[in-house]
Amino acid sequence: MHIEDGILSPQAWASWYAASAVFIVPGIRQIQKRVEENPYYKPFLAMVGVGVFITSCMHLPVPVTGSCSHPCGTPLAAIVVGPFATAVISAIVLFFQAIFLGHGGITTIGANTFSMGIVGGISGYLCWKILRKFNSPLWLAAGLAGFVGDLATYLASAFELALSLHGHVPLVKQWIIFFMGYGPTQLPIAVAEAVFTAAVLQAMVSRRPDLLPGILSGKDRKKEAVKHEIRD
Amino acid sequence: MKLEISENKLSSPQVKWFDSFTKMMLTVMITILIFIFISGKYMDSHKMEAGGTDDAVNDLASVVTQVEHHPFIDLPGDAQVGAFSVANFFAGLVVGHHWEKLFGEKKKKEDDVEDVEA
Repeated sequence: MHIEDGILSPQAWASWYAASAVFIVPGIRQIQKRVEENPYYKPFLAMVGVGVFITSCMHLPVPVTGSCSHPCGTPLAAIVVGPFATAVISAIVLFFQAIFLGHGGITTIGANTFSMGIVGGISGYLCWKILRKFNSPLWLAAGLAGFVGDLATYLASAFELALSLHGHVPLVKQWIIFFMGYGPTQLPIAVAEAVFTAAVLQAMVSRRPDLLPGILSGKDRKKEAVKHEIRD
Repeated sequence: MKLEISENKLSSPQVKWFDSFTKMMLTVMITILIFIFISGKYMDSHKMEAGGTDDAVNDLASVVTQVEHHPFIDLPGDAQVGAFSVANFFAGLVVGHHWEKLFGEKKKKEDDVEDVEA
């Protein structure tokens, strides 16, 4: 999903910058507010940001298709720090990846933030929220959030390209063409992202449920508290 | 973050370095590396390119735009491996540092108890 410079027209990349700003500005405000409320939030955010940086540049080979791709890490970030803060994190991550690692362009940071940080984060977060509302186990909700968020990121990226470049070809057809460039390789990576999201979230919750308000329901919080008392 | 040091009966200090967390992380790392190695060997033996899908789709888009795409900076040869290694090494240190501060406290207490019992 790292679209490079020279592909999107100035009107297109400027529009994606504007669209991303709609989520980044409230994200910055949310971060400022939560930093004042919780002293642990800043190091937590730093850790999650660096986690997204590593995850989203870690290319894994998929022998079935003969190519490599990477997970995103943004569905997990959206669950633990919120979807708006994830948009801010993603913009920073993509900036550093572009200027130091040759991963994506500078003009396309807005478009890449929109696909990975906003669509990937929000879709994963919504999936998590809906499943938890129906009392789904934590690992299942987190895993599906990772899977959905990963694929949604690439669907959004393909849409961004198709919207700019479809010309006389129908938009949906061009969208499918671009997505088919990602899809076959991304499907197994999305499964890996599901396992990663579930495992990391489970580890965080079992160690410090107090750091993750809103992650556990009232009943789950009591269970975790009892577990902690027994362990201590 | 400080190293856990316990003293045995002969009062020589021992650093507990191969703890359960280290074992778990090494297991995960080796599993992923074995997967990458086997996949790489398979793709190499089947003459697969193993390029990134990002590049493939960017190339596809370039066919439409008729304009060359380019990353902001294109690192030549092994410089890319170097840049990734430096970035991931320090990123790993930052994650590890904060993970230990935020999620490692309970574990540390348990290990301290094990040390005293030993």
